[in-house]
Amino acid sequence: MRRGQLSLVTVILLIIALLVGVAVGYFAIPRGPAEDVEKIIQERDQLRQKVEELTAMLQPGEITVKVWTIGPDPPSEYRLRNIEIAADILNSMLEKLGANVTVKIDGEFFVRPVEWGEYKNNFYLAYQAGEAPDIYLTGHEDIGFLAENNYIIPLDDYINEYWDVVYYDIISTLWDAVKYKGKIWAVPQDTEARPMYFRKDVLRALGWSEAEIEALPKKIMSGEFTLYDLLDLAKQAKDAGLVERGILHRVKEGYDYFQFYLGFGGRLWDADAGKMVFTEDAWRKTLQWFYDAVYVYGVISPNQFSGDWDNDFHFPFTEGRALFLSGGTWHKGEWIQKGLLTEDQFNENIGYALHPAGEPGKSPVTLSHPLVYTITKLAQDRGVADIAFILITLATSPHLNSYHSVKSAHLAILYSQISDSRYVQDPFLHDVAYMLEYTTFIPNHPKWGDYSRIVFNILRAVETGDLGPDDAFQELKSQIQSELGDAVIFE
Amino acid sequence: MATLTTLRIRRKVFKGYLAVFLIPSLTFIAVFFLLPVILTFLIGLTDMDYSFKWNWIWLDNYIKILSDRWAYKIMMNTFFYVFSTLTFFNVGLALLISIATTHVNELVGSAFRALWLLPRITPSTVYALLWLWAARGEEYSLFNWILGFFGFKPIDWRLTHPWLIVILVNGFVGTSFGMIIFTAALKSIPEDYIRAAKVDGASTLQIIRHIELPLIKWPLLFVTAYQTLSLFTSYEYILLVTNGGPGLYTTEVWALYSYHLAFAQYGGIVKFGYGAALATILVIIGIIMSIIYLKMFRFSELMTEPKIEVV
Repeated sequence: MRRGQLSLVTVILLIIALLVGVAVGYFAIPRGPAEDVEKIIQERDQLRQKVEELTAMLQPGEITVKVWTIGPDPPSEYRLRNIEIAADILNSMLEKLGANVTVKIDGEFFVRPVEWGEYKNNFYLAYQAGEAPDIYLTGHEDIGFLAENNYIIPLDDYINEYWDVVYYDIISTLWDAVKYKGKIWAVPQDTEARPMYFRKDVLRALGWSEAEIEALPKKIMSGEFTLYDLLDLAKQAKDAGLVERGILHRVKEGYDYFQFYLGFGGRLWDADAGKMVFTEDAWRKTLQWFYDAVYVYGVISPNQFSGDWDNDFHFPFTEGRALFLSGGTWHKGEWIQKGLLTEDQFNENIGYALHPAGEPGKSPVTLSHPLVYTITKLAQDRGVADIAFILITLATSPHLNSYHSVKSAHLAILYSQISDSRYVQDPFLHDVAYMLEYTTFIPNHPKWGDYSRIVFNILRAVETGDLGPDDAFQELKSQIQSELGDAVIFE
Repeated sequence: MATLTTLRIRRKVFKGYLAVFLIPSLTFIAVFFLLPVILTFLIGLTDMDYSFKWNWIWLDNYIKILSDRWAYKIMMNTFFYVFSTLTFFNVGLALLISIATTHVNELVGSAFRALWLLPRITPSTVYALLWLWAARGEEYSLFNWILGFFGFKPIDWRLTHPWLIVILVNGFVGTSFGMIIFTAALKSIPEDYIRAAKVDGASTLQIIRHIELPLIKWPLLFVTAYQTLSLFTSYEYILLVTNGGPGLYTTEVWALYSYHLAFAQYGGIVKFGYGAALATILVIIGIIMSIIYLKMFRFSELMTEPKIEVV
């Protein structure tokens, strides 16, 4: 690291230490003897003097930090915006100190039509060209691959150093999502749940009372209402001519489909063995359910996987032409921002629940896919890793992260966010918070993408009628065996 | 004798000049064709992914392709796609349009050909999107709306007739290339031949069969060979319209399979090595097809030096 940057980092560390120190001194140390107060003031003055000395040493100039983030849903813009705000905060601190140094953000926020695959491709190719970002936002499941291949740096030392600033406040289960081989490789940025949305107005038209409608999420939560009840209800609505489509699911490859498998008791990850899992019984039942949904109940379109996001996902549901939608919390943010629904319309006509259990005796589920900020090896080579981490630390505040949560309908990553004034005023975020108790994370395995691709291809074949459920199961098992072999436990 | 020696010297100098002038294009071919082919072949011998490590596994990828139970289906898909698009559109329809538009009023013919160029100058994503809308399953989509007048029920064309849509989408664009080449060739046929034939009482069909078609043999060879190779490696419209679906590899062609594995995985996990091995097979097929075409159309005759030379 250059001398100037080292000084800058030291100054910032001292400032943060000063703030923490003063705060701790104010709150933790009992009001008491005057000599203690004197001592604190003396220490603070010494620290301030040290900061001023170091500030004078800083080399004037501009430090650019390159940041890549993605929605792909447009409301998630605060993934980048918060880093920019963090840079503004840092710059104002530096200005107050009289340091002639500024931090500039060269940021990108990718939205559709750029999807995840393309975003990740861009990163790897940019990295080879030496143009990769210093801060790279990605899905937690990539950490294994990124870490194994030295694309990113471990952050344990930083996190220990800044623990008292904000990291003590991160919801503890999220740390599991950013660990690989015993080290922490990223900082959680957000998480979410994937609810099963339903149209209350359609249920009213089917003769359901308000009490029955309000009780549906609870019936799903208790496991009383299963995936086959979902098919029955969707068929009733379709047969009654109330909707054109019974159930909508995402139209492209993704991870949402695994919820159906989890609902039938499937497991994805064996933490002890560090391997992915293929639960045969659950996969059989999942494939049978998809087949039944299309060809027995007729409530999922055989061409749903070839549809487009607007015409086959968002529009039919928000216009009341479909009863159920297997989506994510962020879709609520998207519908509001796109003007497809107002808050009032959402509250009046849209309900949300966990993904139902596959059959009686199984549990309802949801799936979380925390997004994370990583720091690249390139940032370390360029000597900006420390600044990058300070920016992430400043952006990981309850206040800034709640901007993101509320606007994009993602869930909190900090305990204190749950009492943040804006966060608590959002009834939707409040209502879905319980879902995290039922959540599963996607495995942090370098070959997870292959597992996901194979499942997607087979599900698509089942829905289009290319494969019956039995053939599909054999094909799925054989492809997973031949392509992933030892990386998967079959049970 | 002296004249002959001078001629030989001149020819050597001429060949020397030719070599100098060919250097830029040879360099171009070496950098943009030979080098990528060699790199593709070498990467195909590794299990490279985004770690970009040259981990040599030699022929394992090729053995895996041989045991890949879907590779056969995908190869058959590829031949079907290339043969159908080429026969019905890129050569067949292109020839038909060229002949038809050169036998009608010049203005009408030119206007028709200009219209046919529209898909070519439309960005591929926009063009594909128009097809996606036209072929949707709802009754208000273009195809179903038209068929509705004849009492047909709406159908989801991409689900029920995916190949028809894939071939139409590619064919409407592909036709324009052959159309331009064939039209230019037909227009370069000396009018005297046509007039002489008419004097002899030949009908339009006879003129086409016995004069025009034989005289555009070389452009036919060129378009057939070029479009075959081009179709073998093309996949962008299939990617945009069906993405290889709707079922399990229903419209997946070899180039798309290679692309899917090498670049386009949702999870960002890629198989450069396996994708490169697939691509290498495509290069080999392309070279074999080129040799067959060159032999079949006796390309060497076209390239033979003239038996006499005007100095």
